[in-house]
Amino acid sequence: MKNRTNNFIISLFIAIGVIPFAAAFVYALLYSFGIIGIANDGFTTAFWSAVWSSGTFFQSFLYSFSIALVSITLSVGGALWATLKFRKQLEQKFLSFILYLPLAVPGIVTGFFTFQLFSKSGFFSRIGYQMGWISQPSQFPDLVNDVFAFGIVLSFVTMIMPFFLLLFLNVYKNERVEELSVLAQALGANAKQVTQRIFLPILIKKTWVIIVLYFIFLLGAYEVPLILGQESPQMLSVLIIQEIKQYDLDRISEGYVIAVMYTLIVSVAAILLFLPRRKPAYET
Amino acid sequence: MKLSWKPFVLSLAVLLILFPFAYLVLLSLASDWRFPDLFPSYIGLKNWSKILSSETGLLTSFASSLLISLSVAIVSTVSGFLISRAVFYHPKKNTLTLLAYFPYILAPVVFAACLSFFFLKMGLFGNVMGVIIAQFIIAFPYALLFFSSFWNKKVKSYEDLVATLGGNRWQTYIKVLFPLAKGLLLICFFQTFLISWFEYGLTSIIGIGKVQTLTIKVFLFIKEANYYYGALSCCLLIFPPIVLLYFNKRYVFKKLA
Repeated sequence: MKNRTNNFIISLFIAIGVIPFAAAFVYALLYSFGIIGIANDGFTTAFWSAVWSSGTFFQSFLYSFSIALVSITLSVGGALWATLKFRKQLEQKFLSFILYLPLAVPGIVTGFFTFQLFSKSGFFSRIGYQMGWISQPSQFPDLVNDVFAFGIVLSFVTMIMPFFLLLFLNVYKNERVEELSVLAQALGANAKQVTQRIFLPILIKKTWVIIVLYFIFLLGAYEVPLILGQESPQMLSVLIIQEIKQYDLDRISEGYVIAVMYTLIVSVAAILLFLPRRKPAYET
Repeated sequence: MKLSWKPFVLSLAVLLILFPFAYLVLLSLASDWRFPDLFPSYIGLKNWSKILSSETGLLTSFASSLLISLSVAIVSTVSGFLISRAVFYHPKKNTLTLLAYFPYILAPVVFAACLSFFFLKMGLFGNVMGVIIAQFIIAFPYALLFFSSFWNKKVKSYEDLVATLGGNRWQTYIKVLFPLAKGLLLICFFQTFLISWFEYGLTSIIGIGKVQTLTIKVFLFIKEANYYYGALSCCLLIFPPIVLLYFNKRYVFKKLA
């Protein structure tokens, strides 16, 4: 009886958590090979060849990868620095609440706000005009929808740095880094050694899976690059949706090719991250 | 006397965090705020008073966002908690957990684009129920993985103790598991509520513009270059999560600590 109930619950898990993903992947795969789809008439590798030879996917992947890498490096670096320098102050009641506020801002609002500040007629452009630095909006530098993705990176950093700061503060407390640091100092370590041998290794080791997860989330981000990205290259999710929603029916299949490639990449990342489970250091 | 630079940096950080909220409220109260004006020529409640009119549809969007998010949060939290028990006590726990990570890690908008065919066939395209089910599919793995740390040896021994003392499964849940997991259940509810509340890409694909949640409205106003209503929608989008965060921090985290 107990086994039957457990099997039913596991089946429910498969139905909700596994089948939709598998169905979506198989559908995209079949579409990408021309087996299904309105204008498709049988198996073909033409769409894969087209995507492969055009280089759109690789360009978009490289672009998304670079943006995600820069954003995550700045966010993690900034949060580590703030934890190191301001940990005691950030434990105060008022500041600890203020730190949570950015978590209440969704990507679409961050994108909108960044656009309001940094567009050619935005808030900073107006300040530039009032200060006499520019005489018309076109003289303001391209900081949104720009080639270096300044707006996207800035939005990502403001969105995730507070999260990492809260995470590091929590790990610092739970892993008793303070006590370990005092012990190291008592044994003759200087401040630099404490940072390099205790603070950084413990915090990074305890949070690296979350850091990689956030990198993957940024790789597939949609709302922010949709508002602040440029025409070409685009970030992966924006490119996929743009291709799939095309009126040119051939391009839809190419969109699914990119979706399949993206899904394979994140799935491999998930396997590498979560499959080789090492035994926990202690039983919980 | 050496002056410390820390208070200056911290004050700047606080201002930078609060600035977006102040700016969005100001923009929502403004009209005719054009380049090169640094401040709007009009500040008042004109835009906010229009929330109540049907012209903007913001009140309807707020209500449908609330309905969708509450439904997704309740169903995901309850099902995530109940199903996670079977998953994390299962001999093949690692494989099952890995399977849960696939939908969790994939961009929701890409997931929705690949799933849209099935939603169309099932008559779930362009309606609230379809959006709730689609959002549940991405919130469920989060809820399931969230409870992974709860099912440990200590909890299992409590369950065994209840069984030894003659308690049935129902009593185990009501008297032991739910009280033990109360804080985590609340946090999971808040988090899945926020996942749904903030969702744009998936909702735009499955809702095809017919289900106009607040995030969809924000984007529509941005496309129309109606930044005042855009800011107003942003305010409506931000304030419920702030209230949730406040209660989360004040009551839930404190109890967990």
